Amino acid sequence: MHRRGVGAGAIAKKKLAEAKYKERGTVLAEDQIVQMSKQIDTFKSHLEEFASKHKQEIRKNSQFRVQFQEMCATIGVDPLASGKGFWSEMLGVGDFYYELGVQIIEVCLALKHRNGGLITLDELHQRVLKGRGKYAQDVSQDDLVRAIKKLKAMGNGFGMIPVGGSYLVQSVPAELNMDHTVVLQLAEKKGYVTVSEIKDNLKWERERSCHVLDHLLKEGLAWLDAQAAGEPQYWLPALFSELSSRDITPEEANQMTP
Amino acid sequence: MSFEWPWQYNFPPFFTLQPNVDTRQKQLAAWCSLALAYCRHHKLYTLDVMESQESPVFNNKKIERKLSTESIQVVFEELRKKGNLDWLDKNKSRCLVMWRRPEEWGKLIYQWVSKFGMINSVFTLYELTNGDDTEGEEFHGLEEWMLLRSLQALQTEGKAEIISMDDGKGVKFF
Repeated sequence: MHRRGVGAGAIAKKKLAEAKYKERGTVLAEDQIVQMSKQIDTFKSHLEEFASKHKQEIRKNSQFRVQFQEMCATIGVDPLASGKGFWSEMLGVGDFYYELGVQIIEVCLALKHRNGGLITLDELHQRVLKGRGKYAQDVSQDDLVRAIKKLKAMGNGFGMIPVGGSYLVQSVPAELNMDHTVVLQLAEKKGYVTVSEIKDNLKWERERSCHVLDHLLKEGLAWLDAQAAGEPQYWLPALFSELSSRDITPEEANQMTP
Repeated sequence: MSFEWPWQYNFPPFFTLQPNVDTRQKQLAAWCSLALAYCRHHKLYTLDVMESQESPVFNNKKIERKLSTESIQVVFEELRKKGNLDWLDKNKSRCLVMWRRPEEWGKLIYQWVSKFGMINSVFTLYELTNGDDTEGEEFHGLEEWMLLRSLQALQTEGKAEIISMDDGKGVKFF
């Protein structure tokens, strides 16, 4: 009688099968994978159909755009991923973010003279909107963040530092490490920070605190106020709210360095 | 029209001479602009260093910050280097502020002269700064010492010649 699963050969086979399963862990059976691919493809084509139907909405409405982007993200599609292809050609989404990126760079360059290359997302948003005029497409902070991420990926020296619920956008490749970032976050509340505040809040030694502040001075991100009561204060132009409401004067424009 | 203060004026560190060289350059440039703009607005032609300390320009009472005497001197030295300031005494306690440089005034005056086809005419200094014809021109009311410097600048360019007349000086334009 033919008995299955018994015998040296069968045992070896079984061991091999077990080993294979162990090795591949959570890998699904082949047919399941094929199933899922088909589903994703379907999903993708639905999304593409949706996109072409709602092209205008996506272009004009920033709220809509956020949700659309999030949908894309869930299936791992990045409409901004390449300059060519369906997304950018169909929607001009790529162009939209590319142009936005250029605008962002322009604003940052124009103000670098004042703030050393650090600007709040709020101020950036205000100025970008101003530059676009009344009849241009709406731009949200989410749009800015995406465009900046793109710029960062392209190696333009851009970075974003989370600060007080929003961001500071860094447009100059100043070397800012964790210590600097944390001090910037501390300075966000009042627009300035002191050695004592750093020591009290972050529990650092005096030397470490001074080192960070010196670096911020050196990078042109902070200015020293030696007339403050008690001890010197280190102010950041980027966080000086009165500054953000001022237009760029012709003199400043002349002093712009690329 | 009231004077418009630049953003730096309310920024406390603006009144501390910055240790970072690049930042200090920007700071001094801004101070020079501010000082000149203020003098121009109030038609100030001379400044006394001691008095300046208490002037609103260098002393912002609202934020309780003021530029120290040493720092004021640094700003004045910058202005001097740029040709906008001349010391009246060796001790550097008083100075002439030229919020428009002599060359710039000269250009304005010459433009006016040629606009009205007055090249080759002779003017007394008084006519230029106080005559009815120049009413409304920016150089109307210009102080004589400034006017002379401006005409001297034109003279160097060969566009004018200062001449002595019976009751004072005059100028011929070419």
